[in-house]
Amino acid sequence: MAILANKNSRVLIQGITGTQATFHVKRSLEGGTNIIAGTSPGHGGEEHLGVPVFNNVREAQRRFAFDASVLFVPAMATKNAVREAVEAEIGLIVSIASGVPVHDMLEIRSMLKGSKTLMIGPNTPGIITPGEARLGIFPDNIHKKGKIGIISRSSTLTYEAVLQTNKAELGQSTVIGLGDDMIIGTDFRELIKKFMDDDETSAVVLVGKADNMYEQLAAEYYASLTNKKPIVAFVAGEALPFGHTMGYAVDIITHGRVTVSDKKRIMREAGIIVVDRMNQVHESLLNLKL
Amino acid sequence: MNIHEYQAKKILAQYGINVPKGAIAYTPSEAKRVAQKLSSRGPWMLKAQIQAGARATGHFIDHDAGGKGGIRLVTQITNIPYETSQMLNNTLVTNQTDEKGRLVTKVYVETHEETKSSFYVSMIIDNIIPAITLLISDVANENIVHLAQHQKDKILRLNLQYDQGISDEQIYKILDFLSLDKVYLRSFHDFLGKLLFTFINLDAQMIEINPVGILPDKTLIALDAKINFDDNALFRHPDIVRIHEDFEEKSRYRKAKTCGFQYHEFDGNIGCIVNGEGLALEAMDIIKSKGYLTACSLNVKGGVDKDKIAAGIKIIMSNPRIEGVFINIIGGFVRCNLIADGILEASKDVGLTVPLVVRFEGTNKNEAMSILEQSNLHIIFAENADEAVDKLLAKMEIND
Repeated sequence: MAILANKNSRVLIQGITGTQATFHVKRSLEGGTNIIAGTSPGHGGEEHLGVPVFNNVREAQRRFAFDASVLFVPAMATKNAVREAVEAEIGLIVSIASGVPVHDMLEIRSMLKGSKTLMIGPNTPGIITPGEARLGIFPDNIHKKGKIGIISRSSTLTYEAVLQTNKAELGQSTVIGLGDDMIIGTDFRELIKKFMDDDETSAVVLVGKADNMYEQLAAEYYASLTNKKPIVAFVAGEALPFGHTMGYAVDIITHGRVTVSDKKRIMREAGIIVVDRMNQVHESLLNLKL
Repeated sequence: MNIHEYQAKKILAQYGINVPKGAIAYTPSEAKRVAQKLSSRGPWMLKAQIQAGARATGHFIDHDAGGKGGIRLVTQITNIPYETSQMLNNTLVTNQTDEKGRLVTKVYVETHEETKSSFYVSMIIDNIIPAITLLISDVANENIVHLAQHQKDKILRLNLQYDQGISDEQIYKILDFLSLDKVYLRSFHDFLGKLLFTFINLDAQMIEINPVGILPDKTLIALDAKINFDDNALFRHPDIVRIHEDFEEKSRYRKAKTCGFQYHEFDGNIGCIVNGEGLALEAMDIIKSKGYLTACSLNVKGGVDKDKIAAGIKIIMSNPRIEGVFINIIGGFVRCNLIADGILEASKDVGLTVPLVVRFEGTNKNEAMSILEQSNLHIIFAENADEAVDKLLAKMEIND
């Protein structure tokens, strides 16, 4: 089944007429993604890449129902674009833009709270279910259909993880970039749950990073599960020095300084298989004999 | 983006928050002059302006700086030039800087305020909840991080609603926590309310007042101030961008920022160009595991403009530490062919004097490879990051 997106997902593109949107939407369409409409203010009634364009989400909704919306709008327009999609009760938003202001994300998260919408990103390559749906900007020549779910907090390391699953000849069920930013729409936990429930997924690869506390939360959540599939994890940033800081508040909020080694230890204690180098991921997957 | 204490205090004062009277000085005689202007009889505070905390317990690495730290109480006006000269143009190391410390180029002179007591306040974005979180502790010194780890009940955390301000109930909780009488309700409400307003209005990521002093008339005063702004929201705050412009920031950092890229320098001799923070971290990890260190790392994520990419590559090439360059691009949004064009463009301008290993994957990989293969540049190709670093190190060793 894969998770979040498949060949039947009806996809809207917000900001479809932009240069980057055009480049990537064309590729997604060629790959079979079911993109049925786009929005772009002032372009209502036009057709772009063979897809009907509307001025806004509300107008598009009069003609179509959507399962997902991919936001190709710039960072400063993201807050309003999310609001449109949430008001239209679209179940899934993928926000590609990098550089969304943190205070805007505070507002976005309060919009999402209690809504019917799950948001992936911002600052994410998106979601891809190989051969079925490409919601975002993934390289289109590396993915292979298979049984490993990938969740990554680093955009480009997502692609490294994909290559590792290819090397193990296991392929991917669904690949999700959580987004590189400090505040993101959805963290590891909700997606781990979806992969645990997904018939097509046999194991999960998780890619973490040095900052913030998302890996600790994932570990805590995984430890609490009964009946679970294996997770292989890599956390980048071991060599990053704890250099200059400004004030104490950052360290207080995380209850002291948490190094990558701390994160790895916490994840191992939770039963996650943690590798020290990205290129060890495929061996760990092979050892699972899936 | 960080700013200096004196700039942060100026902003707080504009928002109606009480701060000591002060002025900046670049020379010992200027310090004396401004001190006399601020107060006829002192005492005064001399505060080294670097963008890091723990200055009081920090130390200068220079011998002529005396044994004292970067914050000094001076009672005699005649001592001000001498104390100032010990700090100016010397390097201050604190537990918030790295061991190289920070050069002090200006000193902030302030009137010394007699306070009854003091405490720690900060507002920061807790990204997990997510919310603006108010942190309060009566330990107004450097032990606060230790407390955060080991005695969590010594720090009060209150989540503030973006649109609702601070309630009386929350203020009472704070007063109770600090063992203060309810008569402080108004002054705390005033101070913290203005601080939150500043935080929201300026897209701050962190404001830290360490410490806040309680004056004899029961009002509060910000004795120190650190503000960190969200770089991504600076488009809404041209006035703050202007403050930042007087900074003596390294020109390579500045150039990278103009191109919209992230750039960091470290202690090693390998330059990395990647698209994505994760790739940057991975490259540093691999290089370190092989006994080398990264000199600098340029993240061209989101780059789709050939000229900007070329300018970015030139920044790396112009770093004198560089003995080898590792380019690792997994094209998604960034297209490999644009990076290849950028490499050609940059090498036309600054030459290619050190070994360069390139690993391309993803969007337009093949176009990119053929662009570079057709050039006359000596570029080494690799299939993955590990192999790339191995090849680069091998080549660098031959050059030695």
